[in-house]
Amino acid sequence: MLPLRPVCGGIWRAAVHTVRMSRGAPPYRLFSSTCDGAPAALADADTIFALSSGHGRCGVAVVRVSGPASATALRCMAGFTQRLPPPRTALLRSITDPRSTEVLDRGLVLWFPAPRSFSGEDSVEFHIHGGPAVVTAVLQALGSVPGLRPAEAGEFTRRAFQAGKLGLTEVEGLGDLIHAETEAQRRQALRQMSGELGRLYQDWSDRLKRCLAHVEAFIDFSEDELIEDGVLNRVDVSVSDLQAEIERHLKDERRGERLRSGVQVVIAGATNAGKSSLLNKLCQRPAAIVSPIAGTTRDVVETALDLGGFPVLLSDTAGLRDSSDLVEREGVRRARERVEQADLTLVVVDSAHLPSEVDRAATFLREHLRSVLPDTDRCLLVLNKADLLPEKQRQKLDTELRGVSGLPAVRLISCQTNEGLKAFLTVLHSSVKTLCGDPLFGAPTLTQARHRAHLQRCAAALAQYQRYRDTDLALAAEGVRLAVTSLGRITGRVGAEEILDIIFKDFCIGK
Amino acid sequence: MLRKKLPFLHSLLSPVSRHVGHLTGHQYDVIVVGGGHAGTEAAAAAARVGAETLLITQKIHTIGALSCNPSLGGVGKGQLVKEVDALDGLCGRAGDWAGIHFSILNRRKGPAVWGPRAQLDRQRYRDFIQSELLSTPRLTVVEGSVEELLVTEPNPEEPGHHRVTGIRLANGSHAISARSVVLTTGTFLSGSLFVGQTTSPGGRIGDAPSSAGLSHTLRERLGLRTGRLRTGTPPRIVKDSVDLSLAKLHLPDSHPTPFSFLNTHTHCKPEEQLPCYLTFTTPGVERVVRESLQLNCHIQQDTKGPRYCPSIESRVLRFPGRSHQVWLEPEGVTSDLLYPQGLSMTMPPDIQLRLIREIPPMRRAEIHTPGYGVQYDFVCPTQLSPALQVKSTQGLFLAGQINGTTGYEEAAAQGLWAGANAARSALSMPTVTLSRTESYIGVLIDDLVSRGVTEPYRMFTSRAEFRTSLRPDNADLRLTPKGFEEVGCVSSVRYQESLRVRNSLQDALTALQALFLSTSSWKKKLPSVPISETKSTLLTGLDLLQYNDVTFEMLASAFPESLSSFMEFAQRLKIEAVYKPHCDLNKKEIERIQREENMSLPQDIDYFSLPVSLSDEVREILDRVRPSTLGAATRLEGITPAAVVNLLNYVRVTEKKKETHRNQRQQEAQRDEELCANSASLPQ
Repeated sequence: MLPLRPVCGGIWRAAVHTVRMSRGAPPYRLFSSTCDGAPAALADADTIFALSSGHGRCGVAVVRVSGPASATALRCMAGFTQRLPPPRTALLRSITDPRSTEVLDRGLVLWFPAPRSFSGEDSVEFHIHGGPAVVTAVLQALGSVPGLRPAEAGEFTRRAFQAGKLGLTEVEGLGDLIHAETEAQRRQALRQMSGELGRLYQDWSDRLKRCLAHVEAFIDFSEDELIEDGVLNRVDVSVSDLQAEIERHLKDERRGERLRSGVQVVIAGATNAGKSSLLNKLCQRPAAIVSPIAGTTRDVVETALDLGGFPVLLSDTAGLRDSSDLVEREGVRRARERVEQADLTLVVVDSAHLPSEVDRAATFLREHLRSVLPDTDRCLLVLNKADLLPEKQRQKLDTELRGVSGLPAVRLISCQTNEGLKAFLTVLHSSVKTLCGDPLFGAPTLTQARHRAHLQRCAAALAQYQRYRDTDLALAAEGVRLAVTSLGRITGRVGAEEILDIIFKDFCIGK
Repeated sequence: MLRKKLPFLHSLLSPVSRHVGHLTGHQYDVIVVGGGHAGTEAAAAAARVGAETLLITQKIHTIGALSCNPSLGGVGKGQLVKEVDALDGLCGRAGDWAGIHFSILNRRKGPAVWGPRAQLDRQRYRDFIQSELLSTPRLTVVEGSVEELLVTEPNPEEPGHHRVTGIRLANGSHAISARSVVLTTGTFLSGSLFVGQTTSPGGRIGDAPSSAGLSHTLRERLGLRTGRLRTGTPPRIVKDSVDLSLAKLHLPDSHPTPFSFLNTHTHCKPEEQLPCYLTFTTPGVERVVRESLQLNCHIQQDTKGPRYCPSIESRVLRFPGRSHQVWLEPEGVTSDLLYPQGLSMTMPPDIQLRLIREIPPMRRAEIHTPGYGVQYDFVCPTQLSPALQVKSTQGLFLAGQINGTTGYEEAAAQGLWAGANAARSALSMPTVTLSRTESYIGVLIDDLVSRGVTEPYRMFTSRAEFRTSLRPDNADLRLTPKGFEEVGCVSSVRYQESLRVRNSLQDALTALQALFLSTSSWKKKLPSVPISETKSTLLTGLDLLQYNDVTFEMLASAFPESLSSFMEFAQRLKIEAVYKPHCDLNKKEIERIQREENMSLPQDIDYFSLPVSLSDEVREILDRVRPSTLGAATRLEGITPAAVVNLLNYVRVTEKKKETHRNQRQQEAQRDEELCANSASLPQ
């Protein structure tokens, strides 16, 4: 990987350069097709991106980018160093993270130069695999491209409208559509804001507003008033505390984001252990073909389900074994890949294959787990076909395997008789719940890539404060202003009057 | 470069008339009512734009009087002075002429928030403004009190809509007609003065109250909503009675910086400047305030006063147990008075004396004129367009405290803009607006007309979203070309100078960018600068100039052949270099806002019957505020994105209809023409 870096660094610089160049370009003409010479309205020169397909459940996800820096995104994420691809032609490319050069997915990319695109602006579409992990990774990579930001509710549609790209009926429904999107986002935000996460953001926002008010007071009033220099020192401390807290929060393994797209649960194990039967039991329909023939499942079978209110994306995979069959080998490769990306793996074992002694059974299971999983932190052990065991052995395994060290939670079930299924579901539910990070009781976690992008901007803006603190307070204050604006996109807009209110409350200002 | 001003005012009295009889029946383009900071700028700007202008004031000798503090500029306010100057207004040059103590506030906080400020000699300031006005072509000044605003009957097609036709003076029923009228009545609109328990009508001590007729016309005839605000001023202290050795000496800048882009130095020589003095209140001051509360009717009323310019009463009541700053400022070179900034008060005069004597340097001080409070009416400014024209009354413009602002600079800025627009309107030219993305004046006006006021409005730098772009140093680049090319209020001399500056700065930046060297070469050229070795990239002169320790002078001495010709702009170039990356970042957002501001919303929309999907709440807000552009609408509280899109949709559809209609009519006209032409060419 290492030798690649300088090359990609070059692309990266080129990308940044493109953005700089494009700033100087004339603003995009809107209404170009309808009202020549009419003043353009409302368009942002920002480039926006969003997942345009549904969340979590689809095999293919479409990520759309729109705005002047779309070409930049295409260059640095799909490896077009020299020239851009031909317009409106699908090309299969590796999609890479411009920061780490890591390959995130292979997928189709399409380039729609303005004005022949959905939004009338330069646009790019990435058609990628639909797993939340891939989608999240691609969205985050896009967020790191200079000039790009996540789209707000209804923004794509608004741009399309401004470019005169919508039909008459669509235009009439536009207000309602944007209203609906805004409402959905508001409800989503509300759900989050009423919990611990909301309190955390609100607390940050209050502290930031106070920082800004104190810096502004120091700029606007300190020459005439009694505002001690100590004010700025306190702001310094607050700003660096906030920056550290936000950065720590951003590194929390993104637990919260799973709430939105579903927890990835993968069923894995040897062939013919009953993985597909388990899938069918869990989703209560024959989603996967079940047969006594080993190696029936060859590809990944995905099902979305609602587990006690938590969205779960359940995948059945091919049984793990060495095979000479090319198709089956690919299936096994995919199964292993899926297990790597899984939030939770259900390792299914045929109980009939277990040694009858408990100690030997534990050793057997430990070894088996090692062959299936890279680490045993996030998995449940499912001993299927319990109905085939003698009653005595069943009870012994069930009670004695629970406390064995080095083993995850173990449950004996039978997909045939439904024995133990209820107890297993309870364990699965509590695992999923922990993974999602209960917004009401759990630790505050991030729930949206959008929030994440705003928080990243916020932290970066606070760094600007520190950079200019001693040389130019106007530029330092600009950093705090940007931070307040970025956080305000999550918690609500902050106006100049609100800042002035804090100033007059905290200081005795007299001309 | 200071323009020569004749101190012999009376030799210039020719355009002044103390007798208004001959004006009756005369038609003016613009009449300006009031001779304060707003009125003088309005009259001068209207005349510069080309309008025959009449300024009516109660007393000619109080034109340009500083009613309150003897100072100009400051943080935020200094930016306004620079912008007024960039538009060829008076106050910057007047400040340079009358200043006796110059300093740049916030010197250590970054050039975007520098606050140029000066203590003024009251007499010199007045002299300058008066002689400037009296030598302005197309401007006539007359003494008088306006009794009534003359307006047409409401237009039957547009109920509630009037047109201004002129004014009527008191004591003689002289009507003078004009196409535009600018009202700058300050605190005189239903003003009352307060000292202790005494209340008397008036707007300023020593001046007659203005007639009730004007208030009546605005409220009853035109149906304008008004509110009430209060302000106050401190007692003036006899200088000889103060022991200044007990106060802290505060010296001006050793090199005074002029306000005006046209001046290279101030009238006052550096060594002739006067100092200010700083002292503090004592617990005794608080005691006196508390003991006299029941004798103080101004303070007992709940009319809104400015939070940032509070009386000493509100200061000690709100922040008790503290020591508050009091500045003792000179009133002029020959004046024997001091202005105690921070001691605005309205208690009875004998208690005022007791209060100031609680402050050590003023133990034996004498009061020359007691402090007093003023309460006055203002017109809710959301009823104005961004040209400061009353939306419902064609030709009526308002500026200054009548719009709910406080401060000389805020008044001057509005006066200039209202005056220029009044003239344009009178001369049948379209009115012009300034965006909040390009100037503090734009911020001020946009805040007023789209949000309104709840307390006297004062400018702060924190109100400007694009503070790093709207700097005092670049006001000329931002506004002078526009002032000449689009507004017509800037002289060609100033315009040419601004072009020279703009081109030179551009050339200098190009020259800096052309210096493209490796870090090691730069280290050789500038050994004292800590350039990081790790950077292997090439750096331009512009990059280098962004370093803290690098000045333009250093670069110019390293590369004299390409840079020495720009030495005149050394400071401006340093500022440009440091701020350039940030201003570039702002550009996108600025362009977005400007596009929204270019989408105008028709002023006559009936929001309640508009056939688009808007909630009742949104309709109510839009109807109340009547934003003039889509940009202003988006900034209103309670306006949802969906509402904005629906509005935009509506505007687009109506515009399209109008266009189609226009095209149709054009086609019809063309057809008619062709028909005529054909018939004309038919053989008879």
